[in-house]
Amino acid sequence: MSDLDAALTAWLPRQRWYGGKGTPVRSVVVEHEERLPGPVDVRHTLLRVTDEAGGAELYQLLLGYSDAELEPRLKPGEVGLVKGQHVFDAVHDPDTTGVLLELLAQGRSLSRLVFTGSADLHTGLPARVMGAEQSNTSIVYGDEYILKMFRRVQPGLNPDLEVSRALAQAGSPHVAAPVGWLEGTVDGQTTTLAMMQVFARNATDGWAMATASVRDLFAEADLHADEVGGDFAAESERLGAATAEVHALMARSLATAVAGPDESVDTAKQLHARLDAALEVVPELAAHAGALRTAYDQVAQLTGDVPVQRVHGDYHLGQVLRTQDGWLLLDFEGEPARPLAERTALMSPLRDVAGMLRSYDYAARHLLAERGGDGQLAYRATEWAERNRSAFCDGYAAAAGTDPRDDAVLLRAFELDKAVYEVVYEARNRPTWLPIPVGSIERLAAPVISEGDDR
Amino acid sequence: MTGPDHGFEHGELVSLEEPRDPLWFKRAVFYEVLIRGFADSDGDGTGDIKGLTSKLDYLQWLGVDCVWLLPIYESPLRDGGYDISDFMKVLPEFGDLGDFVQLVDEAHKRGMRIIADLVMNHSSDQHPWFQASRSDPGGPYGDYYVWSDTDEPYSEARIIFVDTETSNWTWDPVRKQYFWHRFFSHQPDLNYENPAVQEAMIDVLKFWLDMGIDGFRLDAVPYLFEEAGHNGENHPKTHDYLKRVRKEVDELYPDRVMLCEANQWPEDVVEYFGEDGDECQMAFHFPLMPRLFMAVRRESRYPISEILANTPAIPGNCQWGIFLRNHDELTLEMVTDDERDYMYAEYAKDPRMKSNVGIARRLAPLLENSRDQIELFTGLLLSLPGSPVLYYGDEIGMGDNIYLGDRDGVRTPMQWNADRNAGFSTADPQQLYLPALLDPVYGYQAVNVEAQMRSSSSLLNWTRKMLAVRKQHPVFGMGSYEELGSSNPSVLAFVREFGDDKVLCVNNLSRFPQPVELDLRRFEGVVPVELTGLVHFPKVGELPYLLSLPGHGFMWFGLQPEEGTL
Repeated sequence: MSDLDAALTAWLPRQRWYGGKGTPVRSVVVEHEERLPGPVDVRHTLLRVTDEAGGAELYQLLLGYSDAELEPRLKPGEVGLVKGQHVFDAVHDPDTTGVLLELLAQGRSLSRLVFTGSADLHTGLPARVMGAEQSNTSIVYGDEYILKMFRRVQPGLNPDLEVSRALAQAGSPHVAAPVGWLEGTVDGQTTTLAMMQVFARNATDGWAMATASVRDLFAEADLHADEVGGDFAAESERLGAATAEVHALMARSLATAVAGPDESVDTAKQLHARLDAALEVVPELAAHAGALRTAYDQVAQLTGDVPVQRVHGDYHLGQVLRTQDGWLLLDFEGEPARPLAERTALMSPLRDVAGMLRSYDYAARHLLAERGGDGQLAYRATEWAERNRSAFCDGYAAAAGTDPRDDAVLLRAFELDKAVYEVVYEARNRPTWLPIPVGSIERLAAPVISEGDDR
Repeated sequence: MTGPDHGFEHGELVSLEEPRDPLWFKRAVFYEVLIRGFADSDGDGTGDIKGLTSKLDYLQWLGVDCVWLLPIYESPLRDGGYDISDFMKVLPEFGDLGDFVQLVDEAHKRGMRIIADLVMNHSSDQHPWFQASRSDPGGPYGDYYVWSDTDEPYSEARIIFVDTETSNWTWDPVRKQYFWHRFFSHQPDLNYENPAVQEAMIDVLKFWLDMGIDGFRLDAVPYLFEEAGHNGENHPKTHDYLKRVRKEVDELYPDRVMLCEANQWPEDVVEYFGEDGDECQMAFHFPLMPRLFMAVRRESRYPISEILANTPAIPGNCQWGIFLRNHDELTLEMVTDDERDYMYAEYAKDPRMKSNVGIARRLAPLLENSRDQIELFTGLLLSLPGSPVLYYGDEIGMGDNIYLGDRDGVRTPMQWNADRNAGFSTADPQQLYLPALLDPVYGYQAVNVEAQMRSSSSLLNWTRKMLAVRKQHPVFGMGSYEELGSSNPSVLAFVREFGDDKVLCVNNLSRFPQPVELDLRRFEGVVPVELTGLVHFPKVGELPYLLSLPGHGFMWFGLQPEEGTL
């Protein structure tokens, strides 16, 4: 192992975007490096990282090499001292990020890297790295562009770029248009390494908006969700409409298919399999297993065709931005932890609807988790969630022409599946939040009654 | 200033004559006065011009630059004086032309200006022009109004006062024809197709300009011309006529302002500025106001962000007038149906609070007398782009009387002190044009100018301080506006810039304390200085600038380069 490999082996697991949490790194090998033009010695670096469990992943870095001691602002990104040189994570270096923007604007090709950018890109913009992110590093240029560098690289065309590009070309006002991307060859495939989009100025995410509304509700515990000033239902309705429009445009611009009854049987099998896995991690789920399996079996019994298409795949309130013009949908990557083939698979758009409906439950109840139990507030939270879930579906139905609630069996099964996933996640990471998905499963798994009855 | 014997009683006397200042209205703070309700000099129970003149020292002390008067003309008063029966006479209850000239002179001596409402679109049916027109169709005034044998024409024009009117045409039994009226049926529209009417109205303007008036709010201007197939609003001929008026005014009377009252969307209103600012210099920004209330109730900046982002740029010599409340209802014409339902539900819980398409309430009761919110709203009014218009009495947090009906609830006597009739009049209380407020929270015993002048923490003294801060920074009136995004939807942050005068305003629209991280890299190295206390805040660096605001809190900072600060 080289000095650099050794330094990276120690440094990498401490990075927030490093995926192999908990499993020690066995080896780090620099698979490819290429020096970027410019005054600073910065090398685009692809690392193959193998962990003790035998898993291997590719990571992308921009490594700077400096003979001199690093400036204070680069110091936190220092990887280590290698052969007398200070090696550092150069995304925090404004000279380097400026060079990236230049290369995109010029549409330059280096030996294995290809930069593509729209003709009218502005360069020379000040850059800053956005706060903590799970699996990417994002650089904002001025208030015009946001460059997302994928830290963990999966060979092939990145679905976020693919879908955003298709939607922007089709004229959707609900996506941030891609204006540049970086590609390289990985494992023989042209692979997206970074993408740049128009930056949504003056925007905040749906989660912040929704929780501001819930906080307002909780301050008026004697008022109902439809009576308080912070009512969010109108926003939810517009979000539902935006979601439906994007789904329709994805269906028009990208692949679609129809899933017959056999495939519904397969879907039910997958749902059961995920429940099996979850039961091993959280045995307490067993109390609800019967109801869950009943709901899944109803999917297997579906006789009609189910339209399937490309979907968002990881849709929740944190993936949507409220701008001063309306809602934007972000990150069409699917769940980054899953394999690419699964992330681009055709699915029912009800998956996304279910994801957002679950997110409303979380927004309504997460403040409760912080406050401890309060029956009155819990009741109000349920009202808020129901009101906004309905408004989202109303907006979706009005724009799509079909009401997602009409597909009650599938929608419920997908929501339950999501909740089962959440149970596992919370059990591992945030046990105090466990009551949120468990409570949802209790409510959802009750026998189907038409939602229309209680509205 | 904490006592009535200090401060305004000995205001400095200055002259407005030199040097010329054609853009004064862009920096000015306006103050809307109801003469009837401000001060009664002769004890007849109704405020008058002399009464207002006697209070100019107070307005100068407060920091007002321009007083805006509602109609002062002779009128049968069936529509608050907007039904004018003689454009060149003062309503006798208010005084006479001599009183008016004295008011203007005294205001000018104090460095203040006077503008007044003038209704361009129509007159009262009691106006001699209308009486002549109906009785003598072939005479000189026969064509001064819009007459028709049927009530069919111009059917595209909407009915504005949907509560009271069923048609824009009313049958006149004398002339045996229908006359056209966009407002009440006792307010016939003048016929601007007739050149004599165009001349006559310009003569009216010149008459008052000769008296020294500094400008007009031209009431109901969008409706001057109508045409078959046209909705009767913003007709091109209306713009042509207003351009002509402006030209004639500018030639003879420098530094006067024409403010148009066009209760329309900003994209339509901007047409009243003309292509090069050659029409009206000012117009009210109507849709902003309900959205301020919506934003604070929703704890979200987006209602404000959206409307400002969709407000077109205006010529450099023009200005928006912005307000929180005025003599009319809080109008909800410029909102969607959903938003109107929302506003009624939130701000008009009692049906008596509704009026026409709006809410007839004053600022303090609308905000449930929350001092924090009143300050936040006033802070927004004074810092958002435009010239602020204060409504008389709101500076002391006056209340309203929703039982008076229509818009009278917000037109009760100004509360000067705790004496009889709130110090407004020496008349018998029963003789007052409207009763003074007596309720325990907003009544004049609790809320009045004299008491608030004595208390350094009063709303009145706070408002005066904020007007003084605003006056030190021309950027508030003149500067560009740029909203700064942040990930906290409850915080509205923006930067105003005018040359080296730069301010950052950060507003927490939520009732809860909120943090905000602002991208201020453009001002790296600058030390923000809080404008009310000149407190120096940490220097702006490369990282997001963190501020914490209390619930409904706001802060203004000067952003001068470090060497330039105190």
